[in-house]
Amino acid sequence: MKLSISRYNPEHDESPYLQDYEIELVASDHMLLDVLLRLKQQDDTLSFRRSCREGVCGSDAMNINGRNGLACITRTSTLREPVVIRPLPGFPIIRDLFVDMTQFFKQYESITPYLVNDESPPEKERLQSPAERDRLNGAYECILCACCSSQCPSYWWNPDKFVGPAGLIKAYRFIFDSRDRATEQRLDDLGGDPYRLFRCRTIMNCAEVCPKGLEPVRAIEAIRLKIAQLPVHQGGLETHPPKSPK
Amino acid sequence: MRLRFTGLAAWWVQRASAVFMLLFIVFALVAFWLYPRHSYLEWRSWASSPCVVMAILAFFAALLLHMWVGLRDVLLDYAKPAGLRRLLLGGVAGSLFGMAVWVVLILARLQT
Amino acid sequence: MARSTRPVFLNLTQIRMPVGALTSIGHRVTGVLLAASVPVGVFLLDRSLQDEQGFADVAGLLAHRAVKVAMVIVVWALAHHLLAGVRHLLSDFDVGSPLRLARRSAWFVNLGGVAVALFAAAALS
Repeated sequence: MKLSISRYNPEHDESPYLQDYEIELVASDHMLLDVLLRLKQQDDTLSFRRSCREGVCGSDAMNINGRNGLACITRTSTLREPVVIRPLPGFPIIRDLFVDMTQFFKQYESITPYLVNDESPPEKERLQSPAERDRLNGAYECILCACCSSQCPSYWWNPDKFVGPAGLIKAYRFIFDSRDRATEQRLDDLGGDPYRLFRCRTIMNCAEVCPKGLEPVRAIEAIRLKIAQLPVHQGGLETHPPKSPK
Repeated sequence: MRLRFTGLAAWWVQRASAVFMLLFIVFALVAFWLYPRHSYLEWRSWASSPCVVMAILAFFAALLLHMWVGLRDVLLDYAKPAGLRRLLLGGVAGSLFGMAVWVVLILARLQT
Repeated sequence: MARSTRPVFLNLTQIRMPVGALTSIGHRVTGVLLAASVPVGVFLLDRSLQDEQGFADVAGLLAHRAVKVAMVIVVWALAHHLLAGVRHLLSDFDVGSPLRLARRSAWFVNLGGVAVALFAAAALS
């Protein structure tokens, strides 16, 4: 398999460049991450984040043949060669495929990503009916891998002011949680300025690349309707079988 | 309805003006296809009738508001320095207002 | 190396743009194009309503080959912007929002705009 991987060492490189690699595939190279880990035996200076290797931690998000995805669940059998691997678009590159996620996580923190309920706690749990719990489907599964936000043009132009699809799908998860009591404040925060939510142009790149098959654009539509005090559909957000990069 | 500030108001204006213009354009296309005005006098007399004047004014009001929201979105996305952005937004607002005045003058002149 | 000078990968020619993204950038580009042609339209309206000579001048102008080409481009811009706009309106109210449907409607908008432009070109020639 032929690969072209973006390399960058801030200590001696002016700017990132593509380095070519070639490796014989073996039977166990099902996913791109398997190939990358074996590449490290060839060149141990190659750096990238990875952890769970099963598509649930979101660490190995990268731009593969132009499309963001998780290396650990991107099948090698369908990849066009040479496989061009670059870091997530729009994010500052620390080294090779490592990007700076600070801004991304700041946006996440800014949407108050925890349940706000100051009522006196009940004996056991705060009850929620199955229907109320279903509303969170299609949003709670977000693993904050940043594939969506780094493929969103609106987020590229204003990463400091637009919350981005990942932050907004998490905001949805709390706005539509029946146990949360800060709905008004959350809606005011997102609807109160022209940037935080309203930069979304429904381009839908987020839904196209989400490795979990989520559709942040639908979450944003739902929040917009709620801000406008129009009826929002019941039930969870629709999901789709994820398409990995080819 | 408590309008949550500029983001939502702009969104509503953009949608409402779009729907209005869509209906107007469809209506105008059908009207001109069925009754084309071939001479200056036909054209002028149609354009100066009170209903048409109202319709044209309403259309341009919708158009200029729609343009304002759209161009403002473009500037908000790309014009990063706040001073430059405000300057460009002011320029756009001024041009749109100028065009509104121009259209009113054109239609007013027809009544003489 | 200072943090603020970290490089960023943002080469648009190397990032895959799905069909919906093309519809969306088309929506913005056609919007700006249409905005630029509004003053021209108002000018033509003004001239054509001024007097007989003005009306004749505008009619003569619109018969020019180059002007007809410009008109076809404006018609394409209007058609694409309108269709993409209707697609947006529908998805605002949850019609055709799921990804598979959205992709199909994006194709329809992109091709529809071109189809209308071709139709206009035929009608004007």
